[in-house]
Amino acid sequence: MACRSLLATIALAGLFAADAAGAQDFLLKYPDIVGQWRRPPGIGIQWDQSKRVGPAQQAPLTPEYQARYEANLADQRAGGQGTDPLGKCIPPGMPRMMSVIFPMEIIIMPNTTYILTDYTDPRRIFTDGRAWPKEIEPTFNGHSIGKWIDEDGDGRYDVLEIETRGFKGPRTYEASGIELHDDGETVIKERISLDKTNKDTLVDEITTIDNALTRPWGVTKKYQRERNNVVWYFNHCAENNHHVWIGKDNYMVSGDGYLMPVKKNQAPPDLRYFQSSQK
Amino acid sequence: MFYRSLISATALAGVLLAAFTAAHADDSKHPNLKGQWNTLSPRGSFDPDKPPGRGTLAPLTEEYKAVYEANVKDQLAGGHGTEPSYMCLPPGMPRAMIAYESMEVVVTPETTYILIDHIHDHRRIHTDGRPWPDDIEPSFRGHSIGKWIDEGNTGRFNVLEVETRGFKGPRAYDTSGLPLHSDNKTVVKERIYQDKADPNILYDEITTIDSALTRPWTVTRKYQRDPDPFPWWREVVCTENNQHVHIGNENYMIGADGLLMPAKKGQQPPDLRYFTQGEVTGATK
Repeated sequence: MACRSLLATIALAGLFAADAAGAQDFLLKYPDIVGQWRRPPGIGIQWDQSKRVGPAQQAPLTPEYQARYEANLADQRAGGQGTDPLGKCIPPGMPRMMSVIFPMEIIIMPNTTYILTDYTDPRRIFTDGRAWPKEIEPTFNGHSIGKWIDEDGDGRYDVLEIETRGFKGPRTYEASGIELHDDGETVIKERISLDKTNKDTLVDEITTIDNALTRPWGVTKKYQRERNNVVWYFNHCAENNHHVWIGKDNYMVSGDGYLMPVKKNQAPPDLRYFQSSQK
Repeated sequence: MFYRSLISATALAGVLLAAFTAAHADDSKHPNLKGQWNTLSPRGSFDPDKPPGRGTLAPLTEEYKAVYEANVKDQLAGGHGTEPSYMCLPPGMPRAMIAYESMEVVVTPETTYILIDHIHDHRRIHTDGRPWPDDIEPSFRGHSIGKWIDEGNTGRFNVLEVETRGFKGPRAYDTSGLPLHSDNKTVVKERIYQDKADPNILYDEITTIDSALTRPWTVTRKYQRDPDPFPWWREVVCTENNQHVHIGNENYMIGADGLLMPAKKGQQPPDLRYFTQGEVTGATK
């Protein structure tokens, strides 16, 4: 009897040991990337952090999209928004949301890693081993499937590899209006990891494969952990947006509440549907 | 010797049990809220037990009853009254918990996240025991502090109590335009819990304390878990196809042909005083 009790207790201890090991495995399996991440000081809204915003990015665009980019720049110089959709408060989507205009939070759960920025809808990266769906409803964020990798074999994951597909547009890389292709067939591959020499620096190696590019475009973005002044800003584009689109034309609403042109000699909107004449 | 081994093994089991419990603080203590939750309560009315609009019988002060009636009149005339979401402003709290789109509840030891892919409706509920900050940056969703409770001493948390403060406006309870007070001193208290008989049903008992109300107003909204292990998370972007245009204090519409049109009968066109060049067409010709 006593012998059976001892065996049962040992078995119970073994069971708890296995469970505890499993729990510890989860806690210790992932890198410490909790907290708030921001753009490093001096880094603005540019896509490739190592270059200035605009033509200095030297995006490897096809001739067709290079021509569109230049037309967009001419429109922006004239006061328009060019191809940058954010003036309409269209979300940046992927890959532009990884420019982290406002702070980012990463939440790791066993089946999903979440990327939250208070400027866009949450990004879900499914890490549960699911297959690609046969059909993906196109979105600005795209559909992301990821895999945690223990690259150095130390028993702890150190890299999150992600592939994202299933897009809609319009999307651009940055405010200068470098466009992604209209076909939405972009594929984005990322490797997210902590800097090996500075655990308060997060690195996202982003490679964009897109039909508006002559070759895959790889950039490395870095983020800095904020430990002392963690404030989550709520930024909602539509709250104070002074841009107005009427048809294909962009106007502004002035500080005193009147419609105004954004370009020299811009015609006012067609008011044929108003029966009464202007005051 | 034999008994010493037995005692040692039992002690070992106890130590490992303690380690297991501590390590599994999330899964062993918190309810399983994983998956996609969709509202079972009507979206049109904040109080799911009452019809929308006047039928809600919200306990508004006389001043805010008048604000609400003026809003109804404006809506009947083609305007939006005190309903701000046509401008793609987020509903904020407490309206976000109508859950216009699917909801996910992500529970971590320090924070419970409520993610709703509508108009930036995601919320952080801090459950790490932090105090209220001296200053709260006002937001539509407010600042939420929560506490997991083991009601009935079951050995497992079963209720999340949340208090939310620190708002900005404009906010309304639902599309009828039922307004919250413009002082934004709203306090929202919630109790979020699963149905005891059916863990796939979730309740949010929401009590709103607001200067536009004569007393705290409590409603209970209900959500159901989608059985699909890989549910689709729909992306909804209000600004993508919004046909409303707001110029000054006036709301207009964009017609299917892209031209500006009135939203109300007899509405004046926008004042074009800043246009000095170009052809003026239509009513202002």
